[in-house]
Amino acid sequence: MIRFENVTKLYGSDVAAVREASFDIPKGEFVFLVGPSGSGKSTLLRLMNRQERPERGTVWVAGANINELADSRVPYLRRGMGNVFQDYKLLMNKTVFENVAFSLQVIGRPKHVIRQQVPQVLELVGLADKEDRFPSQLSGGEQQRVSIARAFVNRPLIMLADEPTGNLDPATGEEIMSLLDSINRTGTTVVMATHDHRVVNAMRRRVIQLDRGLVVRDQERGVYE
Amino acid sequence: MFARISYALRETIASFRRNITLSAAAVLTSAVSLLLVGTTFLIQRAFDNLLVQWRGDVGMIVFVRPDASEEQLTFIRQTLEAQPNVIDVKKLDYLDRAASFEEAKRVFAGDRTTLSLLTVETIPSQFKVIPLTTDPALVRGLADQYRNLPGVQGVALAEDEFDVISTMSSFVRGVTITMSLILLGVAVTLIWNTIRTAMVARRNEIEVMKLVGATNWFIRVPFILEGLTQGLFGAIVSCGGLWTLNQAWTNGVAGFKTGTGVSSLVVPGSYVSGVMIILLVIGALAGGIGSGIAASKFLDV
Repeated sequence: MIRFENVTKLYGSDVAAVREASFDIPKGEFVFLVGPSGSGKSTLLRLMNRQERPERGTVWVAGANINELADSRVPYLRRGMGNVFQDYKLLMNKTVFENVAFSLQVIGRPKHVIRQQVPQVLELVGLADKEDRFPSQLSGGEQQRVSIARAFVNRPLIMLADEPTGNLDPATGEEIMSLLDSINRTGTTVVMATHDHRVVNAMRRRVIQLDRGLVVRDQERGVYE
Repeated sequence: MFARISYALRETIASFRRNITLSAAAVLTSAVSLLLVGTTFLIQRAFDNLLVQWRGDVGMIVFVRPDASEEQLTFIRQTLEAQPNVIDVKKLDYLDRAASFEEAKRVFAGDRTTLSLLTVETIPSQFKVIPLTTDPALVRGLADQYRNLPGVQGVALAEDEFDVISTMSSFVRGVTITMSLILLGVAVTLIWNTIRTAMVARRNEIEVMKLVGATNWFIRVPFILEGLTQGLFGAIVSCGGLWTLNQAWTNGVAGFKTGTGVSSLVVPGSYVSGVMIILLVIGALAGGIGSGIAASKFLDV
């Protein structure tokens, strides 16, 4: 589903955020990207959804070399991906329903599809009774659920999560991981950047460890070291 | 498709409301600049009216030296009257030195230096000639012919007066067009800045839109529509201003005496309507271009 071939990403002329990264992520896999701050985890995610382009190497997503993808085709690539962030990136002037519906609206889905799909995904994340609330009326965990609902409502092939439990207490973090796990079980490939030891050790999924831009470990059913 | 159009229109109205102060400033600046553009059109048309009227009534003055003899004066008159096919003999008018001096007092009322040099004894008498031809080259040929007659001091042509009016017209046109262009530039810049501010204020929303797969055009269109609306609203305000200005001018000109030439400066309503359509197009284009540039340049907020 995702393949990196000797990918190097530089910031400026000589600061390497990612160096010669090579790995394969098959369809339906759940992968943790671990490592300290500044190790290149977020940059890897940004390379996967074409927010960044590598200086060297090739990034393949769903069989397409996305380095060579025309700018006009990038939105269509992203429609097959969901993005979850540490700071949720919810629109504070929109309700829970409107936040989730937004990602369908902007890709031109008709109203009847939105009315059908949004309640379904809100039910999945356990927020069916809070669709009229604004984000400011929700807890951090609930806001992250809305963010996950928004990322999943379009039934993406890939879910990219950047520190989704970073702002949450351990119990709420577990709930979010349980949600991501159930999404993964539907066949969606999940790639999650984190430095949360508990989450990684509890899940025992594939771990790709980064250190100063280098992939230093790629382990099936790994733990955080 | 309907969902997308509906979304774009909703977002345009919402954004216009959110940035109401900046939007109002952009609308007013557009209105002022477009009013000046419209005024340029009207001034130009007014000068054209004046020139057209004079050209249709081409005049020539043959000045006779103050010391010319009676025989010379008679010869000049006979020469003029001998060409009924070329000049309007019935309207041939002779002003003797006393009458010429009285006229000079009016012509040079604002020029005391020139007036002080003139006396009844030194001022030339004059024949007022109305050529029947409207061909300026032929009129100039006639003037050259009369200039060589004995006793003639000189010949003045209305054509030369046109040059003055043309020069004045060009000057006024140059100044107003320059100011219009500068103000239009200011309006486009202000619209550009309004859209930039709106985009920065909505950077989170734009980022989310891009990440969920909205195309750049889908994101841009509401912003471009917002700028286009600002330009169009400015144009509508300027049209109102232009119409009011023209009505006031038309009413004011009605108070002048007939034959002063000022009545030529009235611009008909049909022409003003045409100018208003042009202003609406320019306003919409200026708004669309300003916002289009901003929406493309700042999409990576």
